[in-house]
Amino acid sequence: MTNVYVHGIGMTKFGTLTSSLKELLLEASAEALIDAGRPKIDAVFVGNFMGGSIANQEILGAIVANELGLGYIPSTKVEGACASGGIAFRQGLLGIMSGEYETVLVAGVEKMKHATTPDVTQAINAAMDTTTNEKYAGLTFPGFFGVLANRYFHETGATKEHLARVALKNRQNAVNNPLAQFVKPASLEEIMGARMITDPLGLFDCSPMTDGASAIVISRKKSPIHVKASSQVSGPTKMQDAANLLSLPAIGESGRLAYEKAGVGPEDIDVVEIHDCFSMTEIIATEELGFFNPLEGWKAIEEGRTQVTGDKPVNTSGGLLSRGHPIGATGIAQIYQLVRQLRGNAANQLEKTPRLALAQNLGGTGSYSTVHILERV
Amino acid sequence: MKIYSCCGKESITKKYFCSECGKSEFEEKEVSDSGTVYSFTKIHIAPAEFADIAPYNVVLVDLDEADAKVTTRIEEDVKIGDKVNLDRIENDAYIYKRVS
Repeated sequence: MTNVYVHGIGMTKFGTLTSSLKELLLEASAEALIDAGRPKIDAVFVGNFMGGSIANQEILGAIVANELGLGYIPSTKVEGACASGGIAFRQGLLGIMSGEYETVLVAGVEKMKHATTPDVTQAINAAMDTTTNEKYAGLTFPGFFGVLANRYFHETGATKEHLARVALKNRQNAVNNPLAQFVKPASLEEIMGARMITDPLGLFDCSPMTDGASAIVISRKKSPIHVKASSQVSGPTKMQDAANLLSLPAIGESGRLAYEKAGVGPEDIDVVEIHDCFSMTEIIATEELGFFNPLEGWKAIEEGRTQVTGDKPVNTSGGLLSRGHPIGATGIAQIYQLVRQLRGNAANQLEKTPRLALAQNLGGTGSYSTVHILERV
Repeated sequence: MKIYSCCGKESITKKYFCSECGKSEFEEKEVSDSGTVYSFTKIHIAPAEFADIAPYNVVLVDLDEADAKVTTRIEEDVKIGDKVNLDRIENDAYIYKRVS
C-alpha cells in the first residue's frame, strides 16, 4: 500500500512529430494537470534518457516548473535508460510516501526522430556497460535480445513465427489507439518477411524510434485509482555474466517484490502493460512476472491468451512495438494506458472493466526493472 | 583466458566485491580459450562505430574449462553447439573462429 492516488494523466501523440522536446514535455504535463483539476504541485520528476546526447537539452525539471508556473518547487530529471519513466514515477511516489510532498507531477519525454539511426543506436548503447569486451565485440542493445532469442528457440519449441505473433498482436492493438505511432495494420507475412535488424529479430520485432511525452499527477489525496505497490531492482549489466540468459532476473525480482507489497499474485492481475522493447522481451517478461511458466510464454502467444480478448491481456496500448517507445516517456505511457483501462475509457477497453493492473518497465538489457500495480478502489 | 571466481561463481571479469560473501579476494586461474557456441546473433543494423563491418556475428561462447561465458565476434556464420577458439584480440574485442 502506498496510499498514493492517481489524479490526472496526459499523453501526446507518439510518432514522428514536429514539436520540440520541450513542447512535447509541456503538452503532456499541461494535459495531466488539467485532467487532475489543476492542483498545487509540490515537486516535479521527469524521466528522460537522451535529451543531453541527442536533443542537447537538459534541466527538463526546471523547464516544466517554470513554463507551467508551478513556482519555486524542487524538480529533478531521472535517468534509468528505458526505465527512466518508471523510475521517475517511483521517485514521485517515494517523495509523497516520505511525507515531504502531497502532490507530484511526473512526466516522461524523448525526442529521437530528428537524429540518424546510427547516431541513435550509438546513444542507446550508452544503456550498456560501454567499457567491456562485449561492447568492443560490437554487441548492440537489440543484439542482446537477438542472442537471447536464438537460445530461446534452441531450448523451446518457439520459432520466429511466435515472435511475429507478438508483434502482430501489438500492432492490432495499436490500430485502435489514436495516440499510437503505428496505426496501419500489418500482416503476419509482412512481419515475418521484414528486413533483419539483428538475427532473428526483424524490423517489426524491434521497438521503433519515437517522439513523444506522457505525464501523470499523483497525490496523497484520495482518488478512484490507488497505486497499490511500487518496486524497483537492478540486474546484470553484461550478457556474459547472466547466470541464465533466458531469465531477466530484474523483471522477476521486481515482480515478486510488487506482488508481495500488494498482497496479490500474478493470477489476480486483470490487465498488463509490459516492456516489449523487442517481441522476445514480451515473452520473457510474461514468464518472469509469473503469468506463464518459464520457457512457456511462447505457448500463451500461440493460444491467444495475451490478446485483448484473452485471459491475460498484455499491451492493450500496442506496447513499445507499436504504440511507440519514446524512451523516457514509455514508463509513464504504460501507466497512462492502465489508468484509462481502470477508468473504463481506454483504447481496446476490456469488456469487463479491470480492477487490478500491472506495469513493468525495463531499462538496459535487464539492468533496471520497475513494477507498479494499480487498483481501482 | 583468465577466470575470476568466488563462492562458486566464475567470470572473465573481476568485480570489486563478491555478491555472495562481500569479499574482494577473487581466485584467479588461467583456462583454455576454447569453447562452445551458446548463442549468437548477426547484427545488420550497427552503431556508427561498427557500421563499416556490418553485418557481423556476435557470439556468446561457453568456455570449456570454466563455468563462464565470453561475448565474442566471429567472422564466419556459426550455430549453437559449434566448437570455437580464440583467433586474436583486436581493439580489445575477442575475435573467435570455428574449429574445423
